[in-house]
Amino acid sequence: MFWRKQKAAIERFHPLHRALILDRACAVSLRRDDWEPVIQSLARHGAEVRRRRWRLPKRVPGVLVPMLRILAADMPPDGVLSVAADMRGSGVPEKKGPEQHVPTRPPISAMRQWYVVDPWLRMRAELRDGSVVELDVTDRIRNRRYRKNARGKVKLKSKSKTVQIVRVTRRLAKDAVVRPPAAPPPRWIRVRVKRGARMVIRANGKFPGPLEDQAMIDRILHVSTEPFRWTPPGTAARRAR
Amino acid sequence: MDAAGHGGEEGPVTVTRCHVTTGFFVLGRCGQAAAASCARCVRPVCAAHAGPGGLCPECAAAQGYGTHDPHEPSWTAGYRRHYYQSSSHAYADATWYASFDEYDRGAFDPGDDYAHGGDWGPDDDTGFVDS
Ligand SMILES: [Zn+2]
Ligand SMILES: [Zn+2]
Repeated sequence: MFWRKQKAAIERFHPLHRALILDRACAVSLRRDDWEPVIQSLARHGAEVRRRRWRLPKRVPGVLVPMLRILAADMPPDGVLSVAADMRGSGVPEKKGPEQHVPTRPPISAMRQWYVVDPWLRMRAELRDGSVVELDVTDRIRNRRYRKNARGKVKLKSKSKTVQIVRVTRRLAKDAVVRPPAAPPPRWIRVRVKRGARMVIRANGKFPGPLEDQAMIDRILHVSTEPFRWTPPGTAARRAR
Repeated sequence: MDAAGHGGEEGPVTVTRCHVTTGFFVLGRCGQAAAASCARCVRPVCAAHAGPGGLCPECAAAQGYGTHDPHEPSWTAGYRRHYYQSSSHAYADATWYASFDEYDRGAFDPGDDYAHGGDWGPDDDTGFVDS
């Protein structure tokens, strides 16, 4: 029996932890405190499982776990935190768009181009000030394959370029106290605001990637900052419940 | 955990409340009954928030006791200050960091209901506009 001990360890993990190992994906809504056993189970992964095949996708400890902690910190115990994570990577056939021919000039010829769209994380959290925040992260990869004629030899070349898109929407509580920011966000973040009984602030950020771990978390947080700048600390925090 | 839930204590005894900042974007006060004072900043802290050396989570993080492992529940409080610093820098908005810092240092009293700001009405529905 190979891998018996590690297989048994996986059996003891939280079902969502198992889904992230075996399916490399999960989609679920849980109340705030029901995420803690999931995080504690994930924390044991490295010590108990070493087989490459059962490795956790690196964005689970690198991005998902920190974002669970950050969103949970702003939630009441009965608030619901939903996650749809697809960590299968950008090589999955259904993420690949159609191939197109691109006009070329010598020494380059026969160029084909296709995009891969990989929406790998979506989260939604009900916060304790009555607002609801939704975020998603998508990798958009442009691939090109072409021939290059260099000094009589034809070489097959390929290039890929990744852009990452973070979108954060926050719907404020009814009649929340709002203070519009004095200065606009950084140029790589676009903001749209819908005023109404429940104000909605959307921020989109687009940047070259792929970023991982703390660099990725900080980008997600920087896009998230704009919807929260409209209710700075000490203004809307206590309109809760 | 909840900033809004501890304003209406009844009875003759005034309980000292834990003054530790909670939350990440939406800040609040812990508000549990205090068990000690932080050895560094002297804010009242509850039993759950009293950390190594009798420090509050903020001071513990500032002294290098913080964890870098997000699987640890205490990771969030340590990361919060890093976040406010890095986002103020990204936004070139010093008031953003100041508003957090003032909140954390207790310039806002727990239990108050702040209503400043908000200079347009709630029914001013113009749809999405670029901001
Ligand atoms: Zn302290
Ligand atoms: Zn406390």
